[in-house]
Amino acid sequence: MSDTIEADVTVDARGSACPGPLMDLIGKIKSVDEGAVVELLTGDEGSKNDVPEWVEEAGHELLDTVDEGDYYAIYVKKT
Amino acid sequence: MTGYAIVLASEEFERVQAVSMIASVASMSDTPVEVFVTMNGLNAFEKEAVENMDFEGGRVANAMMEAEDVEVPLFTEQLEQARQIGPLNVYACELAMDLLGTEMDDYVEGVFDDVLGVSGFLNRAKDKQVIFV
Repeated sequence: MSDTIEADVTVDARGSACPGPLMDLIGKIKSVDEGAVVELLTGDEGSKNDVPEWVEEAGHELLDTVDEGDYYAIYVKKT
Repeated sequence: MTGYAIVLASEEFERVQAVSMIASVASMSDTPVEVFVTMNGLNAFEKEAVENMDFEGGRVANAMMEAEDVEVPLFTEQLEQARQIGPLNVYACELAMDLLGTEMDDYVEGVFDDVLGVSGFLNRAKDKQVIFV
């Protein structure tokens, strides 16, 4: 599933705790064009659960959350 | 309701950090936020306190300071980042500054928009949900 998602840009927030990853993601989402796919890398459990809440409220599309072992890759499409 | 008006009247690290997290994420999500830092809340923003990481706090504060494998962005960094992206204004209470004998130069750069009095805060809070911390 994850292999089929091509990210346009990656935000590597591994090592950063809540709300760092979310803030980095929001900043990146604001800077990319509509339709772009942003990949967020985070090892923070709280962010893994909180990011989808933000994505839904902001009206973007959560494509997938992939467990990569010691971190997660969260794919968000800007709408 | 068109946003939040947050009064930060405590220097307790956990409260300052929580205010910063909520204000930053809300404003970066395009929700207007006004933060009014007053009373002892101002102490946490003094240059000396931030430079020396000298804060009043409890278990969560200690856990954050001692965390080695994760980096928690400090409230000053969060607010500075959020102010550049979203509708966030942070004000220092003029009355408290008068009592403390402090100037804007005594506080960390990049966080405060301006000094403000009670009337100014109330004007900005009129159409917002007030949160007192």
